[in-house]
This record gives sequence, structure tokens and C-alpha cells, in this order.
Amino acid sequence: MKPSMALALLAGSAGLFVATTVNSQDSQESEWWSPGDVHELPAQVDYANDSGVLRVLFTDEEVRTTQNAFFQPIGANGRACVSCHQPSDSMSLSAETARERWDATDGRDPIFAAVDGSNCPSMPQGERASHSLLLDYGLFRIERPWPPRDANGAPVETDFEIEVVRDPWGCNIGDRGPDAGNISVYRRPRPVANMKYLLAIGFPQDPKLGRPVPVDPRTGEPTSGNLLADRRALTLDAQMDDAGAAHLEMARAMTPQQRSEITQFLMSVYAAQQRDASGTELNANGAEGGPQYLADSPAGMLGAYGKRVWSEFEPWEQMSEEQLAELSEEEREYRASVARGARIFRDETFLITDSAGINFPTFGNPFRQACTMCHNMTNMGNDVAPGQIDLGTQNAPFADPAPHLPLFRVTCTGEPHPYYGTEILTHDPGFALTTGRCLDVGKITAQSLRGLAARAPYFSNGSAATLRDVVDFYDRRYNLQYTEQEKIDLVNMMGAL
Amino acid sequence: MKGLVLALAGMVASTAASAQEAQEVRFISCPVFRDVDNGKRGGCWLSTDPESGIRYDVTNNVYPPDWNHPVLVEGVANGEEQCGGVRLDPVRTSVLPGHCPRHMLPAEGYELERPTLPVRNVRPTSEERTVPDWPLTDRTMSIFFEFDSDFITFYHSDSMVDQMVTWLRAVEPKRIVITGYAVTEPAEVTGQVIAEKPEMAQRRAQLMFEVLRDYGIDPDIIETHWAYNPVAVPDDMWADGLAETSRRRVEISAEF
Repeated sequence: MKPSMALALLAGSAGLFVATTVNSQDSQESEWWSPGDVHELPAQVDYANDSGVLRVLFTDEEVRTTQNAFFQPIGANGRACVSCHQPSDSMSLSAETARERWDATDGRDPIFAAVDGSNCPSMPQGERASHSLLLDYGLFRIERPWPPRDANGAPVETDFEIEVVRDPWGCNIGDRGPDAGNISVYRRPRPVANMKYLLAIGFPQDPKLGRPVPVDPRTGEPTSGNLLADRRALTLDAQMDDAGAAHLEMARAMTPQQRSEITQFLMSVYAAQQRDASGTELNANGAEGGPQYLADSPAGMLGAYGKRVWSEFEPWEQMSEEQLAELSEEEREYRASVARGARIFRDETFLITDSAGINFPTFGNPFRQACTMCHNMTNMGNDVAPGQIDLGTQNAPFADPAPHLPLFRVTCTGEPHPYYGTEILTHDPGFALTTGRCLDVGKITAQSLRGLAARAPYFSNGSAATLRDVVDFYDRRYNLQYTEQEKIDLVNMMGAL
Repeated sequence: MKGLVLALAGMVASTAASAQEAQEVRFISCPVFRDVDNGKRGGCWLSTDPESGIRYDVTNNVYPPDWNHPVLVEGVANGEEQCGGVRLDPVRTSVLPGHCPRHMLPAEGYELERPTLPVRNVRPTSEERTVPDWPLTDRTMSIFFEFDSDFITFYHSDSMVDQMVTWLRAVEPKRIVITGYAVTEPAEVTGQVIAEKPEMAQRRAQLMFEVLRDYGIDPDIIETHWAYNPVAVPDDMWADGLAETSRRRVEISAEF
């Protein structure tokens, strides 16, 4: 154990480890969990961020970092799973943290490995510019086979062709790219906390595809289809195999023992914002914020059928005069704003148009609904059904200009796409890189909304630097015409998750 | 629905509707979305029969329209009104190729009843399934589709599939025979000749095979066939009495 960590642990009480309450250089550095570090897993650990404090719970007392492959550098490049799934970042990795690691290690931390921590392995690895996507947007390179392969490695029949329009980093031309049998796209690492919610199967059928939920080809068992942005891995085992080869550069597949250790750890981690910037506990006065509520609650519930999404904050709408009198003006306003934001999120409807996975083929075009149309799982805000949807974050004309990302032209060779027609310009074909279907171009799996304040930037391509940028994107995309106050309320509420 | 609006908007439609009570209609036209902006979900769908000029409300469809494309409307008018049109219920809308100008009407005072969960819905995985009380004899079940589609519709066919699979898993038949059908004989509707693509029969059969397999039913006991232009089965418990739409189906026969 590093000295700074030991001191911090001793300073805590009853297993509570508050990493950033001590403003020393040592304590800041102790936020970073390096592969192979020796940590005593506390029952909970708090990390400060701009919106307040993130709390991470480790609920399995038997997990030891020294004996769990999640924390060990089991591949060739010195990384462990924890390298890109940091507790302080709600088990993801923020661009800000990446920049801190660059500065602290002069770019030698394993997260900057050439294979995917640089814009392209062919670039000079010692230069910051070669890692600009990770440092500025929190993006790792994901190399997918082209044409797509199924779980057994067999080519998937496609109904579209793909050509490279723009390749800023040289990873989609020459000996890389579609002509060489692969496509490089750039994505944020998805948070691996609150895993029971991500694995939960809410319903036996996927209304977006009109079929049963996807079945794990190894076991024949149904799966949630919600793990990865493009649904290329259906189970934790498959995800671990994918990450072991692609991100850890393991020469051999993970052993069953390693997978078992990692699964044990992942199923025991819960993360959520616990406090706001003024110090308000997000589970005060009957509210149900924070990770403990997530650990104690069942997963996979559809908000429309039971406990409504973000109703955790309804008690703040019903506080007594006595309770309100105990709060500062700032606290009262903050709580009211969060509660309003929750209601806007689930009750303020708008016209959803031209969004594959929603308007086609299931719900009609247009369709009036709220944010909870897709972010519909109680307590978590991911999609109860497999959440592959095209909200326009990747495809023209809806996506924001992103000259730092590659741009592909997809030509549909069968049925045209219902909204884009025969040709689609996209930064990332997303789900289509798994299915081979033109209809799925630009679809990205909706993810958990917990711990957002700790893991900017947002969207799978990191195109929203802040939560306000997220709201503004949707405002443009769906002509929401939110008022300034509504935007503030939504940002406050999302920052409280 | 507000009384005043009902009176104004219903003048033409209600007269026509009363004359056509319980009459089955079939036509092709562009859909119009009415943005029922009263905090409810979804919205209303309207479509006007080009031959009669009657505007119908087709909101109770099982596969909603797309305002970019014409729809084949098949339903029964029962004399009621909704959203400024003669309400069709039951009704099916099938999205067809072709282009329509997008058109959206404001709410204009119209309201939908507060949405409730459709009777046909798939229950959450967490809820224990009730095995349908169907006799343990050879049985043929049908899953219905929209025109030229092999999509299992939400809040409708998915519920049928769920019940059927629950039963099949419980009773473990010796053999299951799947027969996919397509209606390929041409029919003239609103001056257009339409027919389903022949391959739709096989696609529907193949889809149902994959569905049963993915639900864990032994694929070795499943036989798959396809055929064309079957008789209508409007009396099937899931056909809602609609004759022509009942021909677009897959039959799943369980044999003991």
C-alpha cells in the first residue's frame, strides 16, 4: 500500500475513505489506482468532483486487489482493467483524469498504450498530439473487424458498403481500415459500476427488433444486450475476452479463474453521486440518492410499470416548512431544482422523430414521449430493453461536426435506411458493426446515467464536454425549446445521479 | 374530448360514420399526426380514405404509421369518433413504400383518453408466467403480421408469442410445425394493385423458428414450411375479427 493511501485509510472512520478531503498532492495522487497497487478495499470511498462527491461502494468483503485479476497487469502493455475503470471516475475514465496521468507520468502510463490509447499506433507515441483523442475527449480506439464477425468468428452478411471520407489519424487507410479488414472508431470506456442493472433482463423480448432478447451463443441463455456500445459482447465473459485481447493485449484468453475474480468484483461495485457541491446529502430528508439505495434495490424494473425514473428526488418536493427552515437558501434552491429536473426528464414530452430504434420499427414516426422513452430503467436510467438506438450523436445531419473523428460513408445495398435513405455519413456505424445492417448505422447502446459528474465527457464519442452540452445537443436534435431554467434543472439533476 | 370541438369537427364525420357502423374499411393514404399536446404520450394518427373522403382515426393500430410514407389502413368503424376522425377499432396500419408530405395537426382541443397498458402486453421477466389453460391436444396457433412485414409488433404480436412460448415450454410437444404465409395474390386498394412479396412467407417462417429456438425450444423438433394465399381466420382469438389481415400469418402447430 502506498503511504498516502495508508494515511488516508487511517484518517477515515469505520471503513470510510474520503480521498479528496485532504488537499495535499499525495491525496490527489492516491485517487489513481495503478495496476498491481495494493489496496485494502474499503466498504466505501468518496471522491470529490465539480458537482459534489461521488461515492463508490465495494460490497464484497472477500475481494482482495492482490488476488483479483481486475487489478492486475495481466496483459502485455502493463494495464489492468482498473486502468480504464477508475473508482474516482465512477468506474470509467474521464478525459480530465487522462490528462492528469499524462502530466504525472510524462505520457508513460499504460493507458496511453499505442494499441488504443493513441489515435493510431502508427503515430509517434511520445507526442501528446498522438494521444489527443484520449486526452481531449476521453476516447479509446476500438478496432472492429470488417465485415463484422459473429460470436464464432464467421463473417456476418451485410447490407451496406462502407468507405472512408475522412481519416484524421491514418488508422482507416492503407494497411488499416475497411480495405484491410477492419474499421477504427473511437469510444468512451463505459462505466462498470452498478453491474446488476446493466445485466438485468427486464422483458423477454426486444421491442426494437421484434425478437426475443439476444441469446448468449455460449450458454443459450438470454442476455440484456446492454453491455457495450455496439452490443458486440453479450456477457461479462465475452466482454472480458474482448477487452483482454484488444485493450490489455493479452496473448492468451483470460482463464476461467481470472474471469471469475473479475466478475466477483464487478458484481460488488456500486457508484453514484452522494453529495452535491454545497454538501447536501442526496439521500437527505427521504430522498434516495447515492449508491446504497442502488445496492439495496432490485434491478431491471421499467419505470413506467412501477417506481418512476428519478422519483428518488420526489421527497424533496414534499418537505415540511420545518425541514425547509433548516436549509440554507442555496440548499433549498438546489433541491427544488433537482426535483424539477427529475420531473422534466420523465414528464416533459417532446416529438421524437426520425430515430431508428424508436420511430422505426416500433413506435411510429413521430412519437411524443419524454427522456424516459429510452432512459427507462428505475434507479439507473439505462434501457430496460436492449438499448440500441440512433439519437443522432454519430450520423449527419444530426451529429455535431467533429473534425477530429473519422467520417465514413455508408451505402445501403438493400433496403434504404428509413430516415437517411441510401447514403449515410457517420463517425461511428455503432451497432451496424455488429449486425451488418444498414438500419443499425449510428445506433449506440443507451448506458447508465449514474455517476455522470465523475466521468465527463459524454456520449460514446465524447462529443458533449459537459452535462449542459448533453442537454443542448438534445435541445437541437429534437427541438425541445427548453427554457434556461429547465436546462439548469436538468443539469443539476443529472449531476446528482 | 371537448364537447364544442367534438360538435364542430364531427359534423361531417359523424354522419358518415353512423351510416358505416361496424363496416370494415381498407384503403391507402398518407397518415396525418395530430400532436395531442396534453401531457399524454404518443399522439393521434388520422388517415383519409381517398374514395369516400372520410377521415378516420387509426390511433388504435398495432404498428404505428410513419408520416413520411403512405399506409394501408384496414379496420372497422364502429361509429365512435376520436381526434377528429371516425375511429377505427380494431385497426391495422401497414407502412408502404412511397412518399408522403409530413403533416402534423395541432391538438385543437382534442384529447386522448389517459393511456393505459394495452391488454396485450408482455409482462416483465421478473413476473412468473401463467401457463395458458389450453387443452393438451394438437393445436395450431397463429401470429399475425402487417402487410409485407415480418416484424413482431409491440404490445400485440409479442404478447401472443409470449403466451404461445409459455404454453409450448410447459406442455413440451413432440413436434412443432411452422408454416409461414404470404398473401401474394394481387388486390386493388384505392386504385393501387398490392401484393406481398413471395419471400415474406419464408421470412415469417424462419423468424418464428429463430424465435422459438431463442426461447429455448429444441430446434430439432421444429419443422419449417411456407405457403401462399391462405384462407382468412378472422375468428382466431388473436385476429380481432379482421379477415384480410388474418391471412398474413405464421401458423405454429404443436403435435403430441
